[in-house]
Amino acid sequence: MTTATAPARPAPTSRRRVPTPPSMLRLWRIELRRSPMPLILPLIALLFWFDSYRPSTSQALVYPLVTFWNMGQGHTIIDFGPFVAGMAAWIGSRDGRRGTADLLTATPRPRWVAQLATWAATATWAVLAYLVFIGVMFAVYAHRGVLGEPPWWWVAVGAIAVVTFSAGGFTVGVLFPSRFAAPLAAFGGFLALMLSSQTGFRDTSGWALILPTNSNGNFQPDSGLLYPYLPDLPIARMMFFAGIAVVALGLAGLPVAAGGGRLRVVAAAVTAVGLAATGTAVGLVSTARLGPHGIVIAALHDAASDKLTVYIPVCTGAGFRVCVNPTYKRYLTDTAAALAPVTHEVAGLPGTPVRAVQVPAVYNNSDGQGGQAMTIAGDPPVLSVPLGAYNFLPGPTGFSSISITPVGVFDQSVRALFIQAYVDAGSGPGTPAQQAVQAALLQGAGVPFAAQPGLLSGLGPMGPMGPRPGQATGRVYAAGRRLAALPAGTRHAWLAAHLAALRAGHLTLEQLP
Amino acid sequence: MTTTATHPSPAAPAALPWMSAGARLTRLYLLSRRVPAAAGLVAALGCLLWAALQWHWNIAGGAAAQLVIPLIVETGAAAIIAVTSHGPFGEAERATGRWLPWLRLGTALALAAVAFGLLAAGGAGGYLPGGSLALLRNFGGMTGIGLLAAAVLGGSFGWTGPMGYLLITEGALAGGWTTPWIWPGRPAGDLGGALCAAAVFAAGLAAVTLLGTRREDRGPASG
Repeated sequence: MTTATAPARPAPTSRRRVPTPPSMLRLWRIELRRSPMPLILPLIALLFWFDSYRPSTSQALVYPLVTFWNMGQGHTIIDFGPFVAGMAAWIGSRDGRRGTADLLTATPRPRWVAQLATWAATATWAVLAYLVFIGVMFAVYAHRGVLGEPPWWWVAVGAIAVVTFSAGGFTVGVLFPSRFAAPLAAFGGFLALMLSSQTGFRDTSGWALILPTNSNGNFQPDSGLLYPYLPDLPIARMMFFAGIAVVALGLAGLPVAAGGGRLRVVAAAVTAVGLAATGTAVGLVSTARLGPHGIVIAALHDAASDKLTVYIPVCTGAGFRVCVNPTYKRYLTDTAAALAPVTHEVAGLPGTPVRAVQVPAVYNNSDGQGGQAMTIAGDPPVLSVPLGAYNFLPGPTGFSSISITPVGVFDQSVRALFIQAYVDAGSGPGTPAQQAVQAALLQGAGVPFAAQPGLLSGLGPMGPMGPRPGQATGRVYAAGRRLAALPAGTRHAWLAAHLAALRAGHLTLEQLP
Repeated sequence: MTTTATHPSPAAPAALPWMSAGARLTRLYLLSRRVPAAAGLVAALGCLLWAALQWHWNIAGGAAAQLVIPLIVETGAAAIIAVTSHGPFGEAERATGRWLPWLRLGTALALAAVAFGLLAAGGAGGYLPGGSLALLRNFGGMTGIGLLAAAVLGGSFGWTGPMGYLLITEGALAGGWTTPWIWPGRPAGDLGGALCAAAVFAAGLAAVTLLGTRREDRGPASG
């Protein structure tokens, strides 16, 4: 028998099994176990406590104020981002530092794909730590009795920002593998965030709102208390960060060593998609406008977000009722006590409110908490008090250090705002005649002339709380003193006869008694 | 014929004739620590500081806010010096290097001096809060923190020290702290702040000189 006549060997029924390369999931799990990222978490925890949690302990116990510094001004991102970027750069530069980059090009998976698994493990550690730290902080807040709804949208922004810093740092490490990759990535992160803070302090509109440390007009009471946090800006910021992360990861796939030509084309496409997402986010934010409840971006806005929170108010007082949102219950007694002398002073006069209700604070384009005016409207007249807009609420209101606002300051400020609303002076000081009447009524309500100068002007937007030093002199105070010196009955009768003209701004100082 | 005869051991790189053994050792040590690259990076940071001051990148806030960008640049330079202390040879170098402590000390001091000079030149770009005296104090203290971090955590992670201190300083300045341990918040001529910064610099220098940096060739940190 020759080979020519021998029967043909049957073809194998199955092809030899070739071991499949490890799945992305398996690579990710291996990298997760070997990642050095946990080594830096104790340091981040320490800094997080110092920089994000500690300053929040001196604020009034409502979420928009307690989290203003760490969420609104992005300090949780500042605490995490640069360190995550530095560590990710260290991890990303691993192959280059060890001189194994060429060796690894022979592995079944393209280098870029394997690097993505390494980055995913790095980002997983970082985001997990971020969420755990935030969770612990919010748990402590809950234990301390902080009221309102936590700013979950801003938590999501922070998580995406951490992902972005990990991606950026990782790519720096991949592209520039050296011992200096880590400090340079961390330094770049710090510089970017600090410049973002600087720009954020100045710019109150336009593209700068995309910056994660810009709190202007987008993080104020009564979000999470009397109405929900608007998700428009957080969504745009998440899109912005996600775009940067995608750009960074795409750039890591562009070098020749990253893989074959087709893979690099994919990496280029990924980079382009990331750039498009980032540009779109910036474009969307450029169309933003300031609404009463925060930043509104028309393309992202959901009208359902504008609904006020439904609640059963808590009230006090037998004659003059004062009602507030249950979140502000701890200020109810003080508010009623502060209003009592002024309501007594104007009792029986036309337009005197029969009760006071809390209304939602309206956003302004800075950091909020300017002394928004009270208003009196309706029949019977009702006093509307935007309690959340006041940075002189009694108790802790400090920034970064414990600062207690005395009840006396709160009393004087509330009375001044009431009288301002009563003479219909709007949010400004009013006409000279209105100022003189305000001075006389405040004197009657227990705010002496000497304490009044600057009180009303100090209650303007971003103004400091409490009276400023000064002297109660001049024509306005002279007229006020004359009015206050009248017998109560005479003053009452004059006011009853002239309040309409006074509110309309038709009276002059000379027409006062 | 033996294998020894066929494969002579490779000759050591020929030293330049004018170079003494000490100079050659120093040169090799500096190269092993990537000192030229570090000097280049510090020079770039000096340029960055110059640009920031020249074009007024500090656009908001008061005195504390004006400090931020110079402080970040100083932190970056301190971080680079800290990372430069990392040695790639580990135990072998420690066992054989009689001159190693002197090389560590000299390198750290020289690099810090060069960095200060470059940053001071960058500070000429505009108004530098506190002037060169504050720059010397702030940068010196931060370098000390970086060297201490390198001694404790390893040279590759020495950058975490200055970065962490920067974050603490930023929070402390915002809160109005005046402790001399937050020396950037003190006036330029303040003795307490200068002493604290000098003590930290000396401690960092001593730690790196005498102990070297922590070994990183084991465990996941080698990453």
